[in-house]
Amino acid sequence: MNEHVKHHSVPRLITENLVILILMVAVYLLMWALNGSSFISPNNTSSMAYQLPILGLLSLGMMVAMLSGGINLSIIATANFNGIMIAILIKAIAGDNMTIASGGVVLLCIIGAFICSMIVGIINGLFISILKIPDILVTLGTMSIVGGMNVWLTEGYTISDFPQSVLALGNSTIFGVPSALLIFIIGASVASFILNRTSFGHELYMMGSNQQATRYSNVSLVKVTVQQYMLSSFFAVLTSLVMIGQLNSVKADYASSYLLVSILAGFLGNVNPFGGFGKVAGTVIAVIILQFISSGLNLMGVDSFLITAMWGLIIIVVVIVKGAVPKIKKARLEKKSS
Amino acid sequence: MLLKFVKSREFFLFVFIVIFSLAITTVNPNFLTLENFADLLKSFTVLGIFSLGVLIVLLSGGFDLSFTAIAQVAQYVVVYFFVEYEVDNVVFAIIATMVIGALLGLVNGVIIYYYHITAIIVTIATNSIYIGFLYVVTAGDLLYDIPESFSFLSDTKIFPQLNASGAEVGICVGTAFWFALCVIVHLFIKHTVLGRSIVAIGGNQLSASRVGFNICRTTLFIYTFVGAMAGFASLIQCAVFQSVVPNSMVGHEMEVIAAVVLGGASVTGGRGTVLGTFLGVLLFAVLSNGLTLMKISPFFYQIFTGVVILLSVTVNALQDLHRKHSQVRVQVKED
Repeated sequence: MNEHVKHHSVPRLITENLVILILMVAVYLLMWALNGSSFISPNNTSSMAYQLPILGLLSLGMMVAMLSGGINLSIIATANFNGIMIAILIKAIAGDNMTIASGGVVLLCIIGAFICSMIVGIINGLFISILKIPDILVTLGTMSIVGGMNVWLTEGYTISDFPQSVLALGNSTIFGVPSALLIFIIGASVASFILNRTSFGHELYMMGSNQQATRYSNVSLVKVTVQQYMLSSFFAVLTSLVMIGQLNSVKADYASSYLLVSILAGFLGNVNPFGGFGKVAGTVIAVIILQFISSGLNLMGVDSFLITAMWGLIIIVVVIVKGAVPKIKKARLEKKSS
Repeated sequence: MLLKFVKSREFFLFVFIVIFSLAITTVNPNFLTLENFADLLKSFTVLGIFSLGVLIVLLSGGFDLSFTAIAQVAQYVVVYFFVEYEVDNVVFAIIATMVIGALLGLVNGVIIYYYHITAIIVTIATNSIYIGFLYVVTAGDLLYDIPESFSFLSDTKIFPQLNASGAEVGICVGTAFWFALCVIVHLFIKHTVLGRSIVAIGGNQLSASRVGFNICRTTLFIYTFVGAMAGFASLIQCAVFQSVVPNSMVGHEMEVIAAVVLGGASVTGGRGTVLGTFLGVLLFAVLSNGLTLMKISPFFYQIFTGVVILLSVTVNALQDLHRKHSQVRVQVKED
């Protein structure tokens, strides 16, 4: 009984993510120790708050795909596509000078681009569920097509100078909090609500842990998969709004280095790559850890390519440690019983 | 037998290549010349050799995204040290690149086998590790000083013919190596125990291990083999382009996988042929050359690659669905 009460007295958010929470604090302290006060300075803290949302939103989109054991390689291409579509639509309606476009036009264009991005998600979902093609191949194909369209639409150039109303979405502060961070917090809350409180969320987790059983429970796998990849695309849309706000430009290959890191964030945040398990909170904490590491290493003046190599090393170490933990537990149990 | 061949993926690809070649020739008669074809094959030799390695991995049900990074590292190391110590011997270079590639590939194999981690994740990770360290160590410097003997692979022709302007045209040695490797890999898959065990693992790993195939040895071999092929291909790449650029190949791994899948290999393992892979690469080569000869904007090339990938996997998937419908299913209980 005592055990039972104790179990409930600590919020599940903490018990479930204990290891990575400890890791987060440890990484923070380590970076503090290595960099001194410049790491905890308000300057660095706010720059981290600006950088975090892009990786965070992409990781959430990737996590949604990983919940069914899949992967969405097209997510960054979709994010860039969304930004480019906004730019092109505004230019088509309001003329070449985007800065004078009115608020209504901008809103219309954002909605138009949103629909285009959703179509990418729907195509992904349909190919994966109806034709039963492995997700990695489908999203590889759409990544190539959408990425190619990005290059074709922009002819490889950067499109810049967005109207103030678009920039405000990703680059203003509300009560001192960067709006990008607010978008991230809202996005994470929405994701958490959808995954934990709606029937779609339950069906998605079910599909990830046992597809056959889910199908026999009268759940349409096609519907769930399409919704899943639409949700994934939705996070790409949010990412693109934040990116436009911060960079005031769009280009075919922005953020392409984040693909690996967003998968890494999912892993680190206890998302099972074979599907069925993974929580928003874990992913968010993992993203924060990765941000601490990259900001800390940047402050120390570490080569950015060395950071790329580090991501790879961290993935392998995390996966090996994760594989080892159940073995140790099992060995300990066997020792106890004997 | 004949009917089976007519229905096969290889025949479908072959017909497609012939039709497309004829279409290009009517637009631009320069297409169907020995000179253009030899050039075409030369520029796709690297992809062709990569594809043999990838075929082996896909056959086993694995995945490899790190082979371009391995190629990049092997190429840089070999060219740098051969120039530094003034060794100018192409045979040594072939051996050296293949050994370096094999070792880096073996690292993948060891991690994948001993820690039971998904191959995609491991190879994405090792890709970034190899490339990251290559950039850090070399600072991204290009090498233009390629040892002269390397051009044996790209410039020496087999059965040279003289064209109208008096220049030698013909298949280069590198391409001949590719063809030879195709034959070797085909015989290896069909007629050796190790080759059969790769296919068996791809079909069903549990059954394969119960039958008595050595999973450990096979897995390690597979990833070592991809690495060695990547190393060899990288040498031809630097001979063709006469320079070493640290990011010239990395990022193109999906094109290789697409070509292999186009050739009928299944990503879930157990299915795929060397002939199909060869035709898949050839189709890619003909299409890209055709796009250039028909003066279509290069911006379309990437879109086009994507469409080809989706189309080919769709055809694969439809075949699978069809096969499933016409099959009697027997469920075997796993314990």
